[in-house]
Amino acid sequence: MTIHRKMWSDKLTAISLTVIAMVAFLGICAPWFAPHSPEQVHMELRYASPSWQYLLGNDHLGRCVLSRLIYGIRPSVLWVLAALLVSLSFGGILGILAGYFRGKTDQMIMRVCDIMLSFPGYVMSLAVVGILGPGIQNILIAFVIMKWAWFARVIRTSVMQFAEADYVRFAKAIGVGNAVIIWKHILPVALPDIAVISSSAFGTMILQISGLSFLGLGIQAPHAEWGMMLNEARGVMFSRPELMLAPGLAIVIVVSAVNFCSDALQAALDPKLQKNTRKPLRGQGLFPAKPKGEEVA
Amino acid sequence: MRKKSTIFVAAVTLVMLLAGCGAAENRQAEAGKPGQELVYATVKDINDMNPHLYPGSMPAQGMVYESLVENTADGIQPLLAESWEISPDGTVYTFHLRQGVTFHDGEAFNAEAVKQNIDAVQHNSAKHTWIRLSSKIKGTKVTGEHTFKLILSEPYYPALLELSMTRPYVFLSPKDFQNGETKDGVKGYHGTGPYRLTEHLTDQSAVFEANAKYWNGTPFISKITVKVLPTGETTFLALQKGEVNFVFTDDRGTDSIDTEAMDRLAESGAYQVVRSEPMNTKMIVANSGKADSPVQDKAVREAVWHAIDRDTIASQIFSGKETPAGTLFSSNVNYADIGLKPRAYDLQKAERLLEEAGWTRSGEETRMKEGKPLTMTLFYDAASLSQKTEAELIQNTVKGIGMKLELLGEDSSSIASRRAAGDYDLLFNQTWGLAYDPQSTVSAFTSETAYYHAIKGISRAEQLKDEIEEVMVTTDEEKRKALYADILTTVHEEAIFIPLTNGNLTVVAPGNLQGIGFKQTQFELPFERMSFK
Repeated sequence: MTIHRKMWSDKLTAISLTVIAMVAFLGICAPWFAPHSPEQVHMELRYASPSWQYLLGNDHLGRCVLSRLIYGIRPSVLWVLAALLVSLSFGGILGILAGYFRGKTDQMIMRVCDIMLSFPGYVMSLAVVGILGPGIQNILIAFVIMKWAWFARVIRTSVMQFAEADYVRFAKAIGVGNAVIIWKHILPVALPDIAVISSSAFGTMILQISGLSFLGLGIQAPHAEWGMMLNEARGVMFSRPELMLAPGLAIVIVVSAVNFCSDALQAALDPKLQKNTRKPLRGQGLFPAKPKGEEVA
Repeated sequence: MRKKSTIFVAAVTLVMLLAGCGAAENRQAEAGKPGQELVYATVKDINDMNPHLYPGSMPAQGMVYESLVENTADGIQPLLAESWEISPDGTVYTFHLRQGVTFHDGEAFNAEAVKQNIDAVQHNSAKHTWIRLSSKIKGTKVTGEHTFKLILSEPYYPALLELSMTRPYVFLSPKDFQNGETKDGVKGYHGTGPYRLTEHLTDQSAVFEANAKYWNGTPFISKITVKVLPTGETTFLALQKGEVNFVFTDDRGTDSIDTEAMDRLAESGAYQVVRSEPMNTKMIVANSGKADSPVQDKAVREAVWHAIDRDTIASQIFSGKETPAGTLFSSNVNYADIGLKPRAYDLQKAERLLEEAGWTRSGEETRMKEGKPLTMTLFYDAASLSQKTEAELIQNTVKGIGMKLELLGEDSSSIASRRAAGDYDLLFNQTWGLAYDPQSTVSAFTSETAYYHAIKGISRAEQLKDEIEEVMVTTDEEKRKALYADILTTVHEEAIFIPLTNGNLTVVAPGNLQGIGFKQTQFELPFERMSFK
């Protein structure tokens, strides 16, 4: 059975994958799906209840909550995905180099990783934002700086087991270049591991960016972001609690979906997990099962 | 079977955990129950209570320290000075001090203490430039146990007004001085006021107890506790649970609870909401002295003025609790009823002004002039709910006329230091209230710690400075009127202070508290006059 089939055969995983795909699609095509402009102020509609025209009601400036939610996908999910890919490729390249070449290269890269990993993640992202100033780009930069070391370390471990494999030795013996070996023989087998760690990091990063935006450090007004929408609703938490629902649920649903997928992916790829359980083992939604290595932060 | 018991254990543990949380909260509510005491919530710690410096919380300092005279609705009234005489040339003030007043530490309040305090303030005069009296005091003299003479270098009409302020001319026990000075910190916080500070846990709480020996009779409320609760939601919950029972607009003009939640509290009957008369003008200060910023351009400032829909702000954001303001000072402020022409909400006018000044739009969203985009940053107090909403509304409106506003929410003290350093384009601020307007706010136009940078860039800056200097010393009422009219017209024409609404003080108090009143200043409350039914 292929990985692809295994994942689709599980209902929850299938739903999760669909949710993620839909969210991403909505985010990319936001201008076509959002019923209104997310930044258009209608003071006369301040805190208006849901209506047919504004399906989720209006916020403190009378802006359409649904449209803001849809536009909020971009920073909350898509930009996070972009930051993830950047730090993953950065960490991945260094990790593969370290794991494949070993020796001095490995030593050097790993010591730099040690330094990076010895900083508590949240504190470092706050410090980076403090130095560069608030804004979504700066948070994403902070993410890239903070995460690559963790990726590099995990990927190195994964690559190391294959670097010693017989077929790699044979390839070396017949004079195949290092680049070709990495590309053809190492990368394909290391990919599943990379997929698992990156998917589990994705969920944490979505939560973190919402958290920082909630603190007012993320994206700046008037652009929409889920964490910021939560913060805006916080001021009227007791008079209009319903305003917290839409962005809150959006975060919970997307992060849960990502984590379910990550678990399913892990189960589908790891033979050990398949033996013990028929169905893929699931984490508890918001708390992902960490594959290996330290806490992603 | 095994699975079931596992679920059972998990459920029991969870229930116990939740029960544990609940119990802990209950205990806390019990301990904080105020009874006949007031517990008020504040966003920030009371900080350094030294009354001769500025970091401290003014409502707290107002309870502990007193000035020589008091500014009331009926003019200047005696406080620590029972009476006073002013020499015919207006330069010598002789104060006859109240007898039998003691500081909280038992020290006698006498002319010597007054002299030491005023001298200590004068030795640190660089900090007090905003209060012009500090540059006019030539000498202090003790002429009897309870007679004190203040000698000025020239006649200065707001002298008594400035002596009545919450700080710096208030009195601390000379025993608390360090080497005869107060500028580098003090040993204790003993004033003469109705309450004394008995306990202070930084960033948590402070306790003030009634001064049993207060010269004007012991206050009814025996204990006032200040609790630091940084956000409006926790304050609201604490009010509901009875952990705190009093909240008011703080000295930075921040209302942390939204109006609807306040109304709901009032409906419950346990609380009452009391609002003062309009006290100040909330405004946006435009920094005309900021180099390389579009805000230097008068047309841009005027355009911002025209692009603000004050009626909507007042009726929607403040639910009609505040009124729109058309000028820096409302016409009931002394010397301010000079018929300035308000600039109405008129987007077409704003666009025309920008167009005429050379800010043109060719296809792009943002107007440009000589290759520079019309982009400015507006700073707001991150703790204030209304400022952010106002800022976003304004941001949206000016976007329509091709102006880009970036919003940045910061801590109130960081906003204050930006104001002093001139490191801003636009920021939210407020005038200083009835007791300070217009003289102190006007005199702050030239103070390096206040609006110096905002004024710096206008064409008549030097002339304005001279006029402000003159208006404070002239003894001729007509001339003073004319000068004020001139000063206020200039800053109005230049659109430096863009008014928003007339702000007031809001108090949320227990339903059975009576005697809730306000002083002439927005910075303190007369706690000593309040009592429970």
